[in-house]
Amino acid sequence: MNLLAATTSGNAVGQLAAAAVLGALAIFSLLPKPKGRSIAFGVFAAIASAVVLVSWTLRQFGDPAKGTVEQILFWLFAGGACFFATVFVTQRNPARGAIAFAFVIVSVCGLFLLLAAPFLMAATIVIYAGAIIVTFLFVLMLSQSSGSSDENDRSREPMLGSLAGFAFLGLVLFALYLGSPTAAADAGQPTLPLPARPLTAEDRAALLALGEQLREAATAKTKDELHEKTRGLRDAFADRLGFPLATVEDKTLGADRSIPERLSLLVDPNSVSIRKNAEELRTQARATFDAVENLSVKPTATAEELAAATKELAALRESTVLLAARGELPARNVASLGYALYTDYLLAVELAGTILLVATIGAVVIAGRKGAPA
Amino acid sequence: MISVWHYLAVAAVLFALGLVGFLTRRNLITMFLSAELMLQGVVINLLAFSRFHANLSGQSFALFVVAVAACEAGLAMALFIALYRRSKSLDATVWQSLRETGVPATIDPERLPASLPELADDPKLPVAGKKPQEAAGV
Repeated sequence: MNLLAATTSGNAVGQLAAAAVLGALAIFSLLPKPKGRSIAFGVFAAIASAVVLVSWTLRQFGDPAKGTVEQILFWLFAGGACFFATVFVTQRNPARGAIAFAFVIVSVCGLFLLLAAPFLMAATIVIYAGAIIVTFLFVLMLSQSSGSSDENDRSREPMLGSLAGFAFLGLVLFALYLGSPTAAADAGQPTLPLPARPLTAEDRAALLALGEQLREAATAKTKDELHEKTRGLRDAFADRLGFPLATVEDKTLGADRSIPERLSLLVDPNSVSIRKNAEELRTQARATFDAVENLSVKPTATAEELAAATKELAALRESTVLLAARGELPARNVASLGYALYTDYLLAVELAGTILLVATIGAVVIAGRKGAPA
Repeated sequence: MISVWHYLAVAAVLFALGLVGFLTRRNLITMFLSAELMLQGVVINLLAFSRFHANLSGQSFALFVVAVAACEAGLAMALFIALYRRSKSLDATVWQSLRETGVPATIDPERLPASLPELADDPKLPVAGKKPQEAAGV
């Protein structure tokens, strides 16, 4: 097998198969066996498999993030998780395996932080630190440390097991490849199987800039100043939200289309609700700018009328910023997660608590000595 | 804008490694930790989609996965104690009499090495109570 040719040519499936076969070979030769365990060959095959897999990922999916720091952090945590997981699976000594698993958990928690889940990161660290210490105690208590033993120095069907695992990995990655933008572009299809994000980063930046201009306009003291400051705003809102609603003829909507037009193609509930918000904002913006223009063509404007107009502008700014926030996770992770848990998932929370209670009782019953006082 | 694909790929690798560990290892505790490794892969998937779709459903689901994993850990440890009391071993193959009818039994034809190589490499200490020169026969 010409490995370098596989990594540089355009054959995505062949490269994926090479990575899976190399990975299966690596794990097979690293797994504990009485005979035929070759650590040097296993490490070599594992490194080769990782190189092929990383080059495949980079070519199919591109860079993992935009910033250099995020890319470094992603590769650090992802590589750490995969490396320590390999060490854990192939480690003969269960105590060392538990330590490797702890490092897997730490790396995975780094990935959680990159995925904007700080509460789950902290919870996982706390829970798994406790769980791993308990596991460690169990290993020390139950596993005899002297000499070799059946459970640590033998594997059950190492060849078939690693082949099954890596065939699974290859199929999952192949399915990912089929759904990725690269494969869609190769096949000449413009649409993506994965639903696009309703609001792009450009949308959010544009909406936030509009909100800033609206805040500026709401501070106007006279009607001429108000007219001056809201001059270009109506057109900017019209571009972003589509005041004259264009007919959606072609299904290839680019980034130059307005937010409701692009969302009209998406049918998932989140996009539908964001589209409803955008249309409400469009109505509100039209009414507000009509009121402001009526005020500016009047010969004289009273202080009350001016105050009403600036108040409407402030309300419009609030709606704009709220729409911009629909494209990202909320910044207050713990508060929002608690709100979601105790409104949308209240029954599930109660059931989880019940399962924990039942599991506790079950553990006490199973582990308790028969006939001995608990 | 995050790329959801990279996180899915890492999660798939972790899940596959956990699967291999669960299928091939025979120590009950290692098998249990391999199952936890698979759960971590699934949780990464959930969080990646949660970030991608900008709602908290994935994170809530991940919390329930962690809760169920905690239940699993408690019950698994209790079962390990009960099994260890009967067989004095953590080997899963000891319990192969519970297997399905018609499935051949696992037999280990190869003998285990007498001692671990890492123990054989350990330094030899002189017998306590004697001078080192006497113990070495100098």
